[in-house]
Amino acid sequence: MRLRHQLIAALVFVAPFAVLLALWAVLVPYFDVNPRLFPHLGAVVEAGSEMIQDGTLFAHIGASLARVIVGTVLALIVAIPLGIAMGVSEAVSLFLTPLFRFFSVLAGIAWIPIATLWFGYGFGAITFVIFNAVFFIVAYNTLLGVASIPMPVRHAAASLGAGRAAMLTEVLLPGALPNIVTGIRTGLGFAWRGLIAAEMIATNVGLGYMLFVARDFYRTEVIVLGMIVIGVLWLLLDRLVLAPLERATIERWGMVQRA
Amino acid sequence: MTALLKLWGGYLRLTARWPSIGSIVPFLPVIAAWWLVTALELFPRVFLPGPVEVAQSFVTLTYKGILPAYLQDSMVRLAVGAFWGIALGIPLGLLIGLSRRAHAVLWPLLLFFQAIGDIAWLPILVIWFGYGLVTMTFVIVYTVIFPVVLNTVLGVRTIHVNMYRAALSLGASRLRVLWEVVLPGALPNIVTGLRNGLGYGWRALIAAEIIVGTSGIGFLMFDARRAGSVVEIILGMIILGILWYIVDSWILAPIERATGQRWGMVMR
Repeated sequence: MRLRHQLIAALVFVAPFAVLLALWAVLVPYFDVNPRLFPHLGAVVEAGSEMIQDGTLFAHIGASLARVIVGTVLALIVAIPLGIAMGVSEAVSLFLTPLFRFFSVLAGIAWIPIATLWFGYGFGAITFVIFNAVFFIVAYNTLLGVASIPMPVRHAAASLGAGRAAMLTEVLLPGALPNIVTGIRTGLGFAWRGLIAAEMIATNVGLGYMLFVARDFYRTEVIVLGMIVIGVLWLLLDRLVLAPLERATIERWGMVQRA
Repeated sequence: MTALLKLWGGYLRLTARWPSIGSIVPFLPVIAAWWLVTALELFPRVFLPGPVEVAQSFVTLTYKGILPAYLQDSMVRLAVGAFWGIALGIPLGLLIGLSRRAHAVLWPLLLFFQAIGDIAWLPILVIWFGYGLVTMTFVIVYTVIFPVVLNTVLGVRTIHVNMYRAALSLGASRLRVLWEVVLPGALPNIVTGLRNGLGYGWRALIAAEIIVGTSGIGFLMFDARRAGSVVEIILGMIILGILWYIVDSWILAPIERATGQRWGMVMR
C-alpha cells in the first residue's frame, strides 16, 4: 500500500517533466525553430549519447565535481575549527562578525578575476573560488552558531566537570551544528554557481567550459544538454547529501530549542 | 591590562550607542595589516597593491566618471531584475500556494529549473538576446524569482486555516481573503525570499557582467584583469562588498525584521 502511494507520488512528480518533454518534441519541429536558437530533443539526446560514448561528458562532470569536492572539503577543514575558536569568546565574535559578513558577501564569483590573476587559469583558481565561497559563509555561520549557544548551557556543562575537549565535542560542536549545516548549504549553492562561472572563464575542461565553448559554435544542443546535466547534478547533490544532512541536524537540534 | 580592558569597555559602550561604528572599526586592523604586508613587500606589488593605491584609483576612476557610470549601470540592472522578479514571483507563489493543481504541475518544474542555476543560462541567453540588458535582466529575474516563489508558497502554506475560516465567515469575498489574509500572512516569508533572492541575484549580476558584460562593476573587474591591473580588481571587490552590505543590512534586513516582528508575533 505504501509502495503504491510512493509510486503515485513519483508519477505525479515526473508527469510535468513528461509533458514538457513532449511539448519540446512536438513544438520545436512544428514551428521549425532554427537549431541555432533552440535544439530539437533528438539532437540533445544524440549529443548526449555521443559525448557519453567518447567519454567527454564524464570528463567534464568529473573535473567539475573534483573541483567542488576538493574546494569544499578544504574549506570545511579550515572554517569549522576557526569558526568555533572565534565564537567561543564573546568579545572576539562581536569584533569579527562584521568582517566575516563582509567577506561572505563577496564570496565566490567576485573573486574570479583576482583568483585567475594570482593562480593563473586552471585548477588552482577555480578551487580557490570554491574554497572562498564555502569558507567565509561556513566560518561566519559557525561563529553565529557558537555565539547563539545559551551561556547557561555552557556553564552547566562546565560545572558538571566538562573539560575543554568534552566542551567542544558535547556542547559547542552539536550546538553550532544546525548553523554549520545551513552555512554549508548556502556556501555550496554559491560555490556551485561560482564553479560554473569560473569554468566559463578560466579552464579547458568542466561543465561551464563545455557550455561556453558550445556557445562559440552555436551548438545549442550541447548547451541544453549541459544545462540539464548541471540541473540534475545539483538536484542529486541537494537531495542525496544536503537535505539528509539538514534533516539529521537542524530538525534534531532545532526541535530541542523550540520546546 | 586594565587599560586595555577599559578601552574595550569604552568600545562596547560606543558600539551599543552607535551600532554602525561597531561594523566599521573591525575593518581598521585588517586595512592596517594589508598596508603593512604591502609596505614590507611580502608579495610583489603587481599582485597585491596597497590600500593607498586602491584609494587613489578610486579617486581617479570617480573623477573620470567611469566608476559612477558603472555603478549606476549595475544598480539599474539589479533594480530592473528585482522588480520583475518580484512582480512575477509573488503572484506565481500565491497561485502555487493556493491551488493544489498548480502545485502538482509547477512544483517539480520549479525545483528542476532552480537547480539549473542562473549562470548556466548565460551561454544560450547570449545566443538568443546578444550582449545586453535583456540577457542580464533575464539572468537576474531568473535568480530572484525562485527564492521569492518558494518562500511565498511556504508563507501561504503556513497561514492557519482558521484565519481563512474567520475571514470567510465574516463575509469576505475571495479577493478580500487574498488581499487581507493570504498576502499579509505570507509577507514575512516573501520578504525573506526577496532578501535571499537578491543575494543570489547580486552574484548573478556580477557573474553576468564578468562573462558577457560591456559595463558595470563586474565588467570593471574583468576588464582590469585583462589589463593585469590588480588595483582596480580589488577596488571593484571592495565596492561590491560595501554596496551589498549597505543594501542588505540597512534596507533589506530592517524590512525583514519589521514584517517578521509585526506579523510573526501575531501568529504566535
